[in-house]
Amino acid sequence: MPLTRNRREFVRDLGISAAAVPFLLNLPGLSFANQAKRKQRIVFVFSPNGIVPKDFWPDEEGANFKLKQILSPLEPFKKQVLTLHGVCDRIRGDGDGHMRGIGCLLTGIELYPGNVQGGSDTPAGWAKGISIDQEIKNHLQKDAATKTRFGSLETGVMVPDRADTWTRWSYAGANKPITPIDDPYQLFNKLYGRAKDNEALASVLDDIKDDLKKVGNNVGAADKKLLEEHAAFVRDMEKELKEQKNATVGHAVPKMELGIRKDNDNIPKISKAQLDLLVNSFQADFARVASYQITNSVGGARMKWLDINEGHHELSHEPDTNEKAQEKLVKINKWYCEQVAYLAKRLSETPEPGGSGSLLDNTLIVWTNELGKGNSHTMDNIPFVLVGGGLDFKMGRSLKYPKVAHNRLLMSLAHGFGHNVKTFGNPNHCAAGPLTGLV
Amino acid sequence: MTSTLPKFGSTFLALVALSSLAPAQEKSGETIYRQMCAKCHGAKGEGAKQYPQPLIGDKSLKQLAHVIDSTMPDGSPDLLNAVESERVAEYMYGAFYSPDAQAKLNPPRVELSRLTVKQYRNSIADVIGSFRTPPKADAKEGLRAEYFNARNFQNNKKQIDRTDAEVRFDFGKESPKSETETKEKFDPNTFCIRWEGSVWAPETGVYEFVVKTDHALRLWVNDAKKPAIDAWVKSGDNTEFKTSMFLLAGRAYPIKLEFSKAKQGVDDSKKNPNPPVKPAFISLNWNRPGRAVEPIASRFLTPLKCPEVAVIETPFPPDDRSFGWERGTTVSKEWEAATTEGALETAAYIVAKLQDLTGVQPGATDRVAKYKAFCRVFAERAFRRPLSAAEQSLFVERQFEAAGDDAQLAVKRVVLIVLKSPRFLYPDANGASEQYAVASKLAFALWDSPPDKELLDAAAANKLGTREEVGKHADRMFNDPRAKAKMRDFLLTWLKLDQAKELPKDAKRFPGFDEALAADLRTSLELFLDDVVWSANSDFRQLFLADELYLNGRLAKFYGAEPPPEAGFKKVKLEADKRAGVVTHPYVLSSLAYTGETSPIHRGVFVGRGLLGIGIKPPMEAFTPLAPDLHPNLTTRERVLLQTKANACASCHTIMNPLGFSLENFDAVGRYREKEKDKPIDASGSYETRTGTTAKFTGARELAKFLASSDETHYAFAQQAFHYFVKQPVRAYGLAKPEELRKTFADNDLNMRKLVVEIAVIGAMPRKELAPSK
Repeated sequence: MPLTRNRREFVRDLGISAAAVPFLLNLPGLSFANQAKRKQRIVFVFSPNGIVPKDFWPDEEGANFKLKQILSPLEPFKKQVLTLHGVCDRIRGDGDGHMRGIGCLLTGIELYPGNVQGGSDTPAGWAKGISIDQEIKNHLQKDAATKTRFGSLETGVMVPDRADTWTRWSYAGANKPITPIDDPYQLFNKLYGRAKDNEALASVLDDIKDDLKKVGNNVGAADKKLLEEHAAFVRDMEKELKEQKNATVGHAVPKMELGIRKDNDNIPKISKAQLDLLVNSFQADFARVASYQITNSVGGARMKWLDINEGHHELSHEPDTNEKAQEKLVKINKWYCEQVAYLAKRLSETPEPGGSGSLLDNTLIVWTNELGKGNSHTMDNIPFVLVGGGLDFKMGRSLKYPKVAHNRLLMSLAHGFGHNVKTFGNPNHCAAGPLTGLV
Repeated sequence: MTSTLPKFGSTFLALVALSSLAPAQEKSGETIYRQMCAKCHGAKGEGAKQYPQPLIGDKSLKQLAHVIDSTMPDGSPDLLNAVESERVAEYMYGAFYSPDAQAKLNPPRVELSRLTVKQYRNSIADVIGSFRTPPKADAKEGLRAEYFNARNFQNNKKQIDRTDAEVRFDFGKESPKSETETKEKFDPNTFCIRWEGSVWAPETGVYEFVVKTDHALRLWVNDAKKPAIDAWVKSGDNTEFKTSMFLLAGRAYPIKLEFSKAKQGVDDSKKNPNPPVKPAFISLNWNRPGRAVEPIASRFLTPLKCPEVAVIETPFPPDDRSFGWERGTTVSKEWEAATTEGALETAAYIVAKLQDLTGVQPGATDRVAKYKAFCRVFAERAFRRPLSAAEQSLFVERQFEAAGDDAQLAVKRVVLIVLKSPRFLYPDANGASEQYAVASKLAFALWDSPPDKELLDAAAANKLGTREEVGKHADRMFNDPRAKAKMRDFLLTWLKLDQAKELPKDAKRFPGFDEALAADLRTSLELFLDDVVWSANSDFRQLFLADELYLNGRLAKFYGAEPPPEAGFKKVKLEADKRAGVVTHPYVLSSLAYTGETSPIHRGVFVGRGLLGIGIKPPMEAFTPLAPDLHPNLTTRERVLLQTKANACASCHTIMNPLGFSLENFDAVGRYREKEKDKPIDASGSYETRTGTTAKFTGARELAKFLASSDETHYAFAQQAFHYFVKQPVRAYGLAKPEELRKTFADNDLNMRKLVVEIAVIGAMPRKELAPSK
């Protein structure tokens, strides 16, 4: 089960001894060194199957623009929104459109040849390189001033229980896809499991001390010494647990609604729980990079709560002339946008701990998609909608680019963190450097 | 290499003492000691400023008298004649020198011990394991193998269902071959195979599983849900997939390997009906702790589907081994913190697997009652005895009350408080009634793990009161794989080979001696040890006298033996008139050698200290062996003699060197040789026994014969076995215990299994039942 695995893996990944664990896990970050500078954050949000361009992209260019229906939930944050039209995924090679769409989206590089067959294209495997979120995470984790407990959190909602090219977008490196956590309880345990463990532990310590005393009375004097020594260590631990509790996370451990099952109809509930936990982890500075993957490429969420009974993917293939289908697709995409808006809202309501403004002022949300348009499978004009002030881009604008490679945008994101990469992904698409006009 | 003894001073003092007092021959040993020895060695042999080493040792009285007569007082041994030397030796021997004298001065006692790290991990694994049902044991080897003529594991497409001894196949461009006719002809482009069963871990440690294939695979080990390797997406040209995990010895872990030569995702077989056939291969390998990567041999595989084992991975500080065996007689902050982590890890494991362990559906209305029942049994098995009413209330009821309506939290709290309780951590102080204490001690002695149900039932029924009753259970329990693993571990410890180590050898002189060959050698030794221990008579002497060796193809080629027909390990006669059991096993000999040269000193220490059990002190300072290049004309034997001829070296090296020299016919990789540097090998050696006789032998076989029949070897083996299995000093069970054990061992025709069973019974029975036999 995930819980056990994660605990073990986590302890192992940290490479620290068991003795040190309790003193590290509950603290906001690995040290206080990371609290001095302004904290910059980035969240990547994925929704699948392309959008309906006419109801998505603003007609205007520049600061004076109107949000169309799909983007209307972002109205309250319009001054913090930046839409980027004309950014194209130029990566070709093995794999079908959806596979390359999601696999090359954050990596900017081709897929390996492999055995995953999609439609009539050549079969493919995993992406050949690291994704930009992991690149930024590694950059931040290298420096004590920006290092956090997890570095990054890969999350999602209703991601299918199968690892294939259609279900992964974050890569730790070539051939190293990262499984997103789409179960809020699993995410909760990753974030707060230790705090809960310590609570349970602290509450049984009195009984353990009594027990040690009782057992000590049953043995000879020479042996009793050993038990007394043992009891002293238990008292030490108790003291340390108390001290830690006082120095803890900076916000209350959130209460989770019990018993939400992983189920299509629960997508809204799960999505809210996951986004709340993401905001909490930023507040506690558990991580500064996150990704949030709604289903998967070719994702077939059935949004019955919007009175739509067809799966998203099958609808996305309907021609433009099918107006009913297009209406539904607009509603579906608007719902995705509402998730972005909810995240922005929560971030904007949360003051930056130890800094100025809100979390949103120091966070950039990058909402994107594996395709430009569902029924054509085009990878031109990939939806890129940015929200928040994390990278000091000039927000509140609608930009239109003349078909530029998305590798350049990925480079810009790294540069926004002071990580001035010369290329990212396939270097052939990087010659023109990071995107201009963002700041 | 000069003596550090204060020669002049002591002689002077001794002279003064002699001249001023009455003639020595009328004095008692004690008086002689006081007058002539105490100044340098301390009033009770504890040592003094100039010569701080205490006079403690394991020479026989005769040997001690001989040493005194020929060397003491230092510089003037003539001041004591043979009779006087004997008298003073007798005094010293009885007053402080001998192990028994020491035991009288500082009576060894059975110390309170916490669980050792091994015992802790085993306890968790077996307590949780007791809630799972193992399949009916059988002796089958290999894995169940199902072959499907499809890209999915559809039952109607299954063509072959058989047992494969190992997973090592190169299909080329063909489809899988079958000895029986298959329903359909395999499509060589698209087929998949599932191998399933369990894998035995022969030792505790980190195992690396390595699957080599050019197609898709998934591997599960000890976790039915989460694959340890998921390469179902074939991506790029990687053909080697690895995962590491920590496993406990003597347990079988469920394993499943799926292989697919097919495209995943969308089915395009209709569009593209005749693609060119690609080749395919797959093999399932592992790297055992400290070994090299090798295919998992069939003897480690069983088609039985064993339940998962709860392996706690929390790192613990290592146990004290300063006495030569692992003891839980100390605690530290790190250890205490590790027990906390271990408890939390276990609690998380149990909560995650609660349905599997309790059979209760998460939503069931009676789940609280059933969880409580589970918790009670869990506590009882962890404490190795029933709970009193007060304990039931503390360890179970109170935790459920405190957790409110969160039943999982309640279970977690119970696990935490039980595993942090001294009643779990200190098996001998947990207030168990006598019979449960016997059960617990017996199980820890044989398995390093708590009693099984049968043993607890016997305790409950009051059927562990007599030696016979306990012995019967010990016999039964000794056949368990956990006992077998412990026995093998003991034998390797006895041979000082418990830690697998690298054996770097000079590649120019010994081409072909690499990591893989060294790993094969260790396997060969282990097969031999198992073979002797589990043979009908379990005859200790066979460890020395056997003239056969386990070799596989690679070893046979290297050692110049008739290669066995298959590549697997087979018993082979190799230089049978020259080799003999463990002392000539090439793994032992290679370990006791440098990269290019032999080391008679290391071999001598191994035979002397390890096998004969004599206390050889480490050298006064560290020495680098004389470089062979600087003495191009000397044989190894000559070089060693040259280096150790000084007086300060002689007292120990005259014992070690001749033992080691008798193995000089075997080079640094354990190959037989007649000559070194064109000079014939001198393999003559000798040993002065504790009875005072001198045993002479030439060559390994004569040495081995001597060792096989020597009381000293038997005594040392029995004593070491006691310490290894019981983890308490043997003299705490009676000063005569070591000698009694030797005698029992000898009376039972040196049957090792009977010896260990006897040891386990002695360790388990209340000590009043163990009144020393006459």
